[in-house]
Amino acid sequence: MDVLLAILGQFGLYGLLTVGIAVIFAATRVVNLAQGDLAMCGAYAAATLTGAPFGTRTLIALVAGVPVLLLVERLLLRGAVLDGLAAMLVTWGLGMALRQGAELVFTGTARTVAVPVEGTVDVLGSPYPAYRLVCALTASAVVVLVLVLARRTGWGLTLRAVADNPDMAAVLGTDPRRLRTLAFVAGGLLAVLAGALYSPVLAVSPGMGFNLLVPVFFGLLLSRPGALGTAAGAALFVSALSVLLRTWLSDTLAEALFYAVVVAIAALRSRPWIGRFSAWFRRPSPAAAGAA
Amino acid sequence: MVPSSLPRSRGRGLMRAPRTAALALAGALVLVPALSACQGAAVSDDTPAADGPVRIGVVVPLTGPVSQVGTALRNGLELAVKKVNAEGGVGGRPVEYVVVDDAGDPANSTQLARRLIRQEKVTMLFGTITGDTAEAVGKVADEAKVPFGTAILGDTEHCFPYQWGFGESTRQMLAPAVPALIAKYGTKVALVGSDYNYPRFYAGIAEQLVKDAGGTVVAREFSPLGQTDWQPVVKRLSAAKPDLVLSMVVGADAVTFSKQAQQFGLLTPRLGYEGAPLDADFYPALAPLVEGRTHTVRWSDGVQDAESRAFADSYRSAYDWKAPIPEVAGNAYFGVRFFLGAAAKAGSTDPKAVNEAIGAFRYDSPLGEGTRFHPSNHVLQADMRDVTIGAGGAYKVTKTHPMVADETPKKGCS
Repeated sequence: MDVLLAILGQFGLYGLLTVGIAVIFAATRVVNLAQGDLAMCGAYAAATLTGAPFGTRTLIALVAGVPVLLLVERLLLRGAVLDGLAAMLVTWGLGMALRQGAELVFTGTARTVAVPVEGTVDVLGSPYPAYRLVCALTASAVVVLVLVLARRTGWGLTLRAVADNPDMAAVLGTDPRRLRTLAFVAGGLLAVLAGALYSPVLAVSPGMGFNLLVPVFFGLLLSRPGALGTAAGAALFVSALSVLLRTWLSDTLAEALFYAVVVAIAALRSRPWIGRFSAWFRRPSPAAAGAA
Repeated sequence: MVPSSLPRSRGRGLMRAPRTAALALAGALVLVPALSACQGAAVSDDTPAADGPVRIGVVVPLTGPVSQVGTALRNGLELAVKKVNAEGGVGGRPVEYVVVDDAGDPANSTQLARRLIRQEKVTMLFGTITGDTAEAVGKVADEAKVPFGTAILGDTEHCFPYQWGFGESTRQMLAPAVPALIAKYGTKVALVGSDYNYPRFYAGIAEQLVKDAGGTVVAREFSPLGQTDWQPVVKRLSAAKPDLVLSMVVGADAVTFSKQAQQFGLLTPRLGYEGAPLDADFYPALAPLVEGRTHTVRWSDGVQDAESRAFADSYRSAYDWKAPIPEVAGNAYFGVRFFLGAAAKAGSTDPKAVNEAIGAFRYDSPLGEGTRFHPSNHVLQADMRDVTIGAGGAYKVTKTHPMVADETPKKGCS
């Protein structure tokens, strides 16, 4: 049970960040390397606005995040000259600016956020810190909500269409520029939410987001562009792999093996026969065909 | 560095060589000394002016993840120089210092240390926080034969002839603390640390001292830097049912680990807890978890002698400081004064002469009566103190261990 709870706890964090980065990637074909640093901004909002209750602080972070993300997208990512790589570099620069900015304003010393829900709860015989459970469940619920929105709403359909073939989608009447803005803001907000929600269990420091980037990047690597379900699945896989390895082995060995396994899977996936094999399996399912 | 005999021995073949080769060789003869000077090695131009001020080169991270500690070290040094200059300088010479920011990156530290020696003509180097940057500067200092002082706690397995540490060595930290903690909390000890050289070195010494004090090490855990989820580690530690946890989890991870250890029910007031997370730097983040605990340090702002109090007061007013003053600031303050005292004794700004004087110098300060470096390990033989962390961040001295010796020899000191 401990292990399942640990996976759930880790999935909440990685899930929000990975689905966020996948939403942005689907619409813009840009890997947002500032995703972790946006989470750091959310965490600092929770750490500094201590006058308000925790929920309000999270809401303030999200509301304040909208205009900032809009501005970033309009000013930095909209240039016609930007190709995927240049835009990725822009997000890298944005992340660096956010980290340095946080260091200037808040100094490099780590801060903590008081846990809003004290105590432990008993989950099928395993005592578990109450707040960890609350934030894992909240985060997972938000991930599910985003997946449902992507599958059931017009926005989700457009997102998938643009992810698959942006030119064709534009010909058919969607405005890819509007969608890109929307996706960047939505994906960024998921990161801000992750940072704020998980701030009471982490040390809040300027470099905290950067540490989260690697597992999230792996999640994106293992998912299919435009299919947010696979991004959530990949985040769950990354969380489970990390927790299971660290449960069975020492942390150092677990980390080395974790990278080895993820890289091996990514390398195998790129083999054509694996692609044909999985495509053959996908073909009979009408739902998957619809998603593709 | 290119030995000076090399160009001359090549020169002998000149008569028989064709004209173009001779020209090329002549060019090489001009270039070789120029290139070797570029490498920042000790050439005669690097030596400071004999009648000028005493210059200190300060390499510290003022940006990056350890900038807060780096800034504290710089502040302590700044106040020490001010104090020495107010008292008439070093043998009548004023003291100057040049601060450079290495951002905690050893590649920067090497370049900057070389620049300080070559361009600024410093008599001594001081600073660095992380072990890798200390080693980088230590190598440059050794190459150029310029004394280099550090102030951060902890030591390394290796010793450099020109490097001197004013922070407490691992043995000095643990030797007084471990028996007392085992007597108070129990014999089962767990060791946890960030996964790099120093915490493993710390754990090795801790394990020995735990055995000597009649305890047993029931768990050893190391986790990579930047760990966000400590649940598996905390669960393994809890399963070993320790009475005492010695932690060398550093940086922001010290905060994450301590918080998660408390949330998972490991870190309770009944469990003994000592190590890096109890340092003054972490107090603002971890106050409720560390209050009431005892921490063994060389210097804290709770040391009550007149000199320490004057230093703490000037630190608070100069830098508008309200939190506990980081230990590293005090170590730097008294360390620089030790260095300058040795320079006065040497009666010269020649780095080599100052280094010799440092090795033989004895200095009375709040760090101890007659503090001195042991020749076989370059560890400062000085006092240690038990401080009890009180409400509001009062690090009150509850016991003084006079002159805690660490004479374990290390390779490379001479």
